[in-house]
Amino acid sequence: MTNKKYKEIIVNGIYRVILYIILGLFTFLAIYPILWLLLQSFKTNQVYLTTNKLSLPAVWYFGNYPRIWNNAGLSDGFSNFFKNSLIYTTITVTAVVLFANMAGYAFAKIQYRITKLLHGLFIVGILLTIQSILIPLFLMINSAGIFNTRLGILIPYIGLGLPMGVYLCTDFIKKGIPNELLESSRIDGAGFLTTFARIVFPMCAPVSVTLAIITFTGTWNEFILMNLLTAGDRYKAIPAAVGRFAGSLGADYGRLFTTLSLSIIPILAFYLAFRNQITKGVAAGAVKG
Amino acid sequence: MKKILVLTLAALMVVTLVACASGGSGSNKKVELRVLHYIDMSSAGAAEELDVVWKAFDEAHPNITVNREDEFNDPFHDSVDAYAAAGTLPDVMYCWPSGRSTTLHTQKLLKDLGPLAARDNLSNNYSSIVLDPSQQAGGYMGMLAQGITSTNTFIANKEVLSAVGLTPAKTYSELVAQVPVLKAAGYETILMPNKDTWVMQSCLFSLVAGRFMGEGWEQDILSGARDFNDPDFVAALNFIKTMYDDGVLEQSSLAIDYGDGPGLFSTNKAAYYIDGDWRVGAFITDASTGVALITPDRQTNFEISVFPDIDVPGVKFNRSNSDIVGTGWGINAKLEGDKLEAAWTLVKWLVGKEVQTFRLRTGGISNPSWKGIDFNSLPLEPMQKELANLSSKYDKSTIVIDGPFADVVYTPINDGLQAMGIGTQTAADVAKLTQEALDNWKKTQ
Amino acid sequence: MTINREKRISYAVLVTPAVLIYLLVVAFPTVFSVFLSFTNYNGGVIFGNSNIQLIGFDSYIWMFTEPVRSFYTALNNNLLIVAVSVFGQIPLGFILAYILSRKLITRGRGFFQTMIFLPNVISAIIIGVLFNAFIISPYSVFMEIKKLINPNAEFVLNTQPIIPVLFVILWMFTGFYMVIFLAHMQRIDPAIIEAAKVDGATEGRILTKIVLPVMTSEIVTCSILAISGSLKTFDLIYAMTAGGPAGQTRVLSLFMYEAAFRGAPNYPLANAISTVMVLISVILIIVTRQLGKIFSEKGD
Repeated sequence: MTNKKYKEIIVNGIYRVILYIILGLFTFLAIYPILWLLLQSFKTNQVYLTTNKLSLPAVWYFGNYPRIWNNAGLSDGFSNFFKNSLIYTTITVTAVVLFANMAGYAFAKIQYRITKLLHGLFIVGILLTIQSILIPLFLMINSAGIFNTRLGILIPYIGLGLPMGVYLCTDFIKKGIPNELLESSRIDGAGFLTTFARIVFPMCAPVSVTLAIITFTGTWNEFILMNLLTAGDRYKAIPAAVGRFAGSLGADYGRLFTTLSLSIIPILAFYLAFRNQITKGVAAGAVKG
Repeated sequence: MKKILVLTLAALMVVTLVACASGGSGSNKKVELRVLHYIDMSSAGAAEELDVVWKAFDEAHPNITVNREDEFNDPFHDSVDAYAAAGTLPDVMYCWPSGRSTTLHTQKLLKDLGPLAARDNLSNNYSSIVLDPSQQAGGYMGMLAQGITSTNTFIANKEVLSAVGLTPAKTYSELVAQVPVLKAAGYETILMPNKDTWVMQSCLFSLVAGRFMGEGWEQDILSGARDFNDPDFVAALNFIKTMYDDGVLEQSSLAIDYGDGPGLFSTNKAAYYIDGDWRVGAFITDASTGVALITPDRQTNFEISVFPDIDVPGVKFNRSNSDIVGTGWGINAKLEGDKLEAAWTLVKWLVGKEVQTFRLRTGGISNPSWKGIDFNSLPLEPMQKELANLSSKYDKSTIVIDGPFADVVYTPINDGLQAMGIGTQTAADVAKLTQEALDNWKKTQ
Repeated sequence: MTINREKRISYAVLVTPAVLIYLLVVAFPTVFSVFLSFTNYNGGVIFGNSNIQLIGFDSYIWMFTEPVRSFYTALNNNLLIVAVSVFGQIPLGFILAYILSRKLITRGRGFFQTMIFLPNVISAIIIGVLFNAFIISPYSVFMEIKKLINPNAEFVLNTQPIIPVLFVILWMFTGFYMVIFLAHMQRIDPAIIEAAKVDGATEGRILTKIVLPVMTSEIVTCSILAISGSLKTFDLIYAMTAGGPAGQTRVLSLFMYEAAFRGAPNYPLANAISTVMVLISVILIIVTRQLGKIFSEKGD
């Protein structure tokens, strides 16, 4: 008996070591490129080009950061991109969460035949690719005279966040909010809209948080629409600043890596702060048909 | 559902109407011009340009108000597409003779400047190539170019060459002979940032094709007198393949970003560098920071020329380059009367002698379209002087392939030049694919 | 105000903002793009332009028959990405989730999950630029490592340039599937597994007989996500290889983008590519629904 237990402990110990090695290896692979990137931002272009790419900076150069933050190759400086990113994400997240909750409540709890069609339309949108609407969207935004405006970016962003939002909210409200509760509120004389504001929306807090997080990362990282629907740097956000270094205009590696680092630091901080909600949100967002 | 559809359509219409209404314009005695300019406002010389080019114009023409919008790179082109789609193109705009400005030319969105140029006798002052309508995508003079672009420059780094006891190669076989020597010392022979497909076609192959096919070869192809399967064209393609085989070009060049070329070359990675004439500006001193990739005292070690004589069978001539009309300025086709005259005045200023001289000095252009600007009087850095002297290094000009041929026709060439480097296509394959693309394209015309 | 009227107005108020924006920004442009693919519209004024004509399937015929076969190369790359997702990310994600869900991992579960998922929160455009410098360039970290192993190593161009891209895609998204699987595995009652262990079941048997059957519908869901995700791949390749060399790493979305917004525009071709992408999405949705029905019946 003791012998068997002893053996089990050893076998388990070996297993455990192997498993930890596997996990450690994957963790290393996942974060090494990002650490490497952060380190390169402390090298000058000359140093990066002429020394071993694996080496730590021999002399830590901090000059890249103020240069990028204030100007250096980006006409308004990185701070402007950062500001725009904040504006776009805040407004998009707020609008998507509110509109999706509203529509979700109507779809889940107010019976109309048109619901099936409308809800179905949103579901189709989840799998659609953004490239397939680029040209018409571009033409429409131009014709509407909102090319290169914040509004011209925000409307598509909100529209693109809605399919997932409506899906999640409808699902949550249907399963999570009992009809009896809504009925009793109605009996107390509250209309549908009052019921929404007083009961449904507050009760949807969990799904709203999930949706807010998904929308936040999606909006923060969006690139192609931003690139196409704005001209000049005034209304561009962070990924577009990075996009400038994609392809043909890179030239200065110090600048490149600093821009990249500045771009990932906020989202990394956000992720590390809300990691549990984010991973939960991702699991919840994995849509079934 | 119906209601919502109606609502949506109504909203769309309102939005469209508002957009259309705001597009209208009124005219006054004081003319206002909306101008779209291509410039990186953070680049070297941008601040100076504001004074020398724009403020000077404002002061000289108090009756013309210029509202300028500055754009750069892809966003510039996206803006132009956007304005074209909405019918709100600016009055005066920066443009290319083809490429992404093609729509402006082919859809006649640009004013035909031919009559104005003839009226004002521009041929007295300008090189004939910029007045030649066949050089522009629409077959008419949609823009007035500020320069002529040579798409091939062959820069020899004498620091590297003398370190291994060599001098700049004058012929291709000399170049081949230098490969092992350079390689033994750890240098590449030719550095070329070939990751983007257009670079090889524009900066080297167009020159090679000209030398194998002869002058005016594009006309023979377009008229059907010859085709891309022509043995001379295949031989030209094959020459690029030979360059890879001989080690003159390395496969690794296909992985080098266009942006990385100057930085790598300035750190002595290779003996030679191939790029367009516009790229020399990347090496010289940046006026805003005072920093140069190659400092002026080092610059004397760099010799700028065209690709050496190709001494293989089948070449019709050497000492040639591939040239194309440079960028310039066009006028919105809708403009008439006073506004048109004001716009024309502005365009003539923007491509006039003063501005061209200024751009020559800052590296904005290298081969001005204004005849007889005196280079020697300008405070140029050694590499700029070398570049100004480029036209004395060749006698013949041939076309740049992406000029006269449509996008769908030259794409197989662009891609094929890379595929030959990797070894997935042969010269004959590329020629055949290009000819098929041309046949297909002709059907749609 | 009657109850019915109130109900109708409330419904309209609640639904209108979402539906209106969605129709305007997603639904209408999709239909519009399909329409444009049958016209010769290629830039310039769009509304009220008399030069716009219907040209039928010309753009499609060109796309399917043009000699360079760019469409098929792009489609092929999309399929390779699907393959990497389905046969790489999903199994790897599953295994990692399984390891993390076992009792043997007593400490650091949260840490490992957080770190392995981390690449997912970073913008693909940044990942693309980063890995261009990291793997693809002749002056990359990858080359430095090669030189560490063999000091005489020389840069060789990858004859299958899509492989580094696939590797990065594997790198990025494995954590995503791991998180999904882990969330569902943690719902399996540990008592069942303990009971099986007492009965002498091996790890392998627990995995195949207990865990896998419960997870089937999640695996199907993830496969569908992977397929639609592959169709959406753009930013990464745009920044990492720009579709090169020689167009060998182009995917459909990039092919479409280049047709429309690189060099001389070719909107009809670009719209035809979009339409094919929409079609693929629609087929996916139908398949998803069918599979969803089959598995939800089995799962319950």
